[in-house]
Amino acid sequence: MLHITRRAGQTIRIGDDIVIEITEIGGSHVRIGIDAPREVQVLRDEIWQAVEEENRAAASSDADLPTPARADAEQG
Amino acid sequence: MLTVESTRFGTVEVPDEAVIEFPNGILGLQGRKWTLMARDPDSDFLWLHSLEDPSLALPVTNPWLFFPDYVVEIDDNDAKRIGVQTPADADVYVTVRAAEALEDFRANLRAPILVHSGQAHQIINQIPEPVQAPMFNAVTETADEVALETSVG
Repeated sequence: MLHITRRAGQTIRIGDDIVIEITEIGGSHVRIGIDAPREVQVLRDEIWQAVEEENRAAASSDADLPTPARADAEQG
Repeated sequence: MLTVESTRFGTVEVPDEAVIEFPNGILGLQGRKWTLMARDPDSDFLWLHSLEDPSLALPVTNPWLFFPDYVVEIDDNDAKRIGVQTPADADVYVTVRAAEALEDFRANLRAPILVHSGQAHQIINQIPEPVQAPMFNAVTETADEVALETSVG
């Protein structure tokens, strides 16, 4: 992985159309501004991974799902 | 008309207008062409079925059937990206993690799927709803505890 040292207010450019700006540094947090093309989805990695895991788990669901009636019967 | 040889449901005919394109795909899953199938008119669940992989399908539901107070807030960048300003402009679904026991069913309220004009996007709800929300009222309070835990982050 490439490591670059930057100060607040400085930017990094990735390719033609992605710009990352270090907007604020404080304590253990860094605030980052990202300019990217509309079609690029920018997400916090932990959310990305959590959604990936849920999607995969959902996709392993069995074909036989309860109807509301069955739900009531089993809960009652 | 397309024909899918679904490993779960056998041969299924899919009209062209029922094809849904995910331009950015679905996180963790392959393919961009999907369709929504209703297997049982009495069920609250639909199946989001891949048109490229006959073994790939996931149950989804209308979140308001299970969570009447559910709110989806779309990030401004997402709104521009997907061309949907408010959830009312789209059909909203959430993925379902099915399980043997009803109290283990979970809905991902953090990442709803918005379907609009034949295109769909899974977005991140700006309201930090849980990734694993229990769908059926459990007899004990365990489900509520799980909801609290999974809503963190």
